[in-house]
Amino acid sequence: MTPVHFSFCSAFILGLMGLTFHRTHLLSALLCLEGMMLSLFIALALWTLQFEMTGFSAAPMLLLAFSACEASAGLALLVATARTHGTDRLQNLNLLQC
Amino acid sequence: MHLTTLILSSSLILVIAILIYPLLTTLNPNPQDQKWAITHVKTSVKAAFLMSLLPLMIFLDQGTETIITNWHWMNTAPFDINISFKFDHYSIIFTPIALYVTWSILEFASWYMHSDPLMNRFFKYLLLFLVAMILLVSANNMFQLFIGWEGVGIMSFLLIGWWYGRADANTAALQAVLYNRVGDIGLIMAMAWLAMNLNSWEIQQIFFLSKNFDMTLPLIGLILAATGKSAQFGLHPWLPSAMEGPTPVSALLHSSTMVVAGIFLLIRLHPLMENNNIALTTCLCLGALTTLFTAACALTQNDIKKIVAFSTSSQLGLMMVTIGLNQPQLAFLHICTHAFFKAMLFLCSGSIIHSLNDEQDIRKMGGLQNLMPMTSTCLTIGSLALTGTPFLAGFFSKDAIIEALNTSHLNAWALILTLIATSFTAVYSFRVVYFVTMGTPRFLPLSPINENNPSVINPIKRLAWGSIIAGLIITSNFLPSKTPIMSMPLTLKLAALLVTIIGLLTALELTAMTNKQFKITPTIPLHHFSNMLGYFPAIIHRLTPKLNLSLGQSIATQLIDQTWFEATGPKGVSSLQVKMAKTVSDAQQGMIKTYLTIFLLTTTIAILLTMI
Repeated sequence: MTPVHFSFCSAFILGLMGLTFHRTHLLSALLCLEGMMLSLFIALALWTLQFEMTGFSAAPMLLLAFSACEASAGLALLVATARTHGTDRLQNLNLLQC
Repeated sequence: MHLTTLILSSSLILVIAILIYPLLTTLNPNPQDQKWAITHVKTSVKAAFLMSLLPLMIFLDQGTETIITNWHWMNTAPFDINISFKFDHYSIIFTPIALYVTWSILEFASWYMHSDPLMNRFFKYLLLFLVAMILLVSANNMFQLFIGWEGVGIMSFLLIGWWYGRADANTAALQAVLYNRVGDIGLIMAMAWLAMNLNSWEIQQIFFLSKNFDMTLPLIGLILAATGKSAQFGLHPWLPSAMEGPTPVSALLHSSTMVVAGIFLLIRLHPLMENNNIALTTCLCLGALTTLFTAACALTQNDIKKIVAFSTSSQLGLMMVTIGLNQPQLAFLHICTHAFFKAMLFLCSGSIIHSLNDEQDIRKMGGLQNLMPMTSTCLTIGSLALTGTPFLAGFFSKDAIIEALNTSHLNAWALILTLIATSFTAVYSFRVVYFVTMGTPRFLPLSPINENNPSVINPIKRLAWGSIIAGLIITSNFLPSKTPIMSMPLTLKLAALLVTIIGLLTALELTAMTNKQFKITPTIPLHHFSNMLGYFPAIIHRLTPKLNLSLGQSIATQLIDQTWFEATGPKGVSSLQVKMAKTVSDAQQGMIKTYLTIFLLTTTIAILLTMI
């Protein structure tokens, strides 16, 4: 595959792995989610140029708008967690579980 | 220029000008002298009365009627409105009678209200009322009539609530305005219909064009207006409550002049109703119901003014019946004769009330025949005229009405009700005379009984003369436009007299029985029905406001606050979401990392499988 193709595919996969294997902080998972969104954005823009589909140019912008919404939802959850549990460390979330 | 018409028109306009002059002197910023009421108001009414006799004599001699159109006032898009006075035989006869009665009442009021510091204002209100009434009866277009109509309504409100410190007086004034307003809706609807369909508010044009239209809707409006203003059944409770006002107010407004305005409207616009059977039947049945119901209520009242008020209401029902019989002239005759004896009954009541130190309960009067001979004599004359004693004033109108009712081919139920009401008239009139003048005194010994003041006696005497001879004078001078039926069986001819005598005999029998007790415990449900006015005010004045207020409360609280805001609005949405989230999150164990790792593993295996 082309180098560009390889770069954003690997960026996506690395972000996904960072999301799944996050260790201490919730914030790092959210950051990886942002990275995934960014790589998808670059992918959509490149495909528009590659296949010369001018009608598809709006797609990256749409993705950006929705990713902003989703990021804000994630941050709201972070703030709620910090408010209820005092910190965003993931061990706190099931501290009282048997 | 023909001299007769010039004298007629100028004297009629002068009558109105004489009445308005004292009102203009009140616009003077300097305070009036103490005797302004007597020197200005009473003198002007007396002068106006004497002036109005001139057109009356011209009308009697030559039969001239006149319409005076003075001034083009304004112009609505399709038609214009003028100031226009119609002096036909109704208003030419009614004006002198109204002025005569008002003159007597004002002279009486100068004695009755002499200790009131605001007596000048009282007389000003009475004069303003009189001007509005004259405007009403002489109006040639509906707009001017409406001005007079509203004017008398407002003055009634101000005068009923004269002693505004009394809560009952304020309630009664409010009641008068509200019930009159319901009637006004009918009048306004009729005026709107006339403006839209007949394109005019002038009476001549309305009469001319109405032959082509179905007039049922405006006629129902006019009947509703008469129901409100003349206290027919359904809108009647304000009239007995209006007795909270001073006695001159009751004598002027609520017996002779204002309450007949509704009937006068129907008389004036009678040509519209002649051929409309729905309107005529409505008038007949409504009038019959009113006259019986109010006469039944009058039987057990204990306040002398309330008895006379119910008697007025009953006579108004009789006038409505006459209109339903297609006999407007008989109704008008009854208006004229009724004014005399009813005003006199009220003035006698006022004299008695003041003499007994403001005692109005007939159970606390008695034996006044020797102590107040002139007043009790005139009370008796008035009651006899009211019951239709032959050849007094009431006989000519009442007997003619009952004869017309007997010989018509209309509703027999209305006839029976009217006859029963006529016998009740005799009963309650006798009850008043018995309790007030006969027997032994039941009032305190130190009552200031004094009827020697000429301001008291002269008006009552004048009205007594009127009650005796007015019927004779009016009927002998005016030809009826519809021929009365002269031949009928003897029983029918004497029907009114017979039922009156039967009522009187029954009442005499009952008075003889009052001190013999036939039963240990009395059974008095009928007495309660009559005394509580048929429970009509008790139900309507409480139930309707309660229903409306509770409807308002349930809309504001339950519909808007509880339902829209909480159950379906924001709070409802949030409660639904929270429930669903709780249900879903019960299933999760919270092992996020494991879940995500398995997810990654699954994705990797899926990709590798596709590559193979």
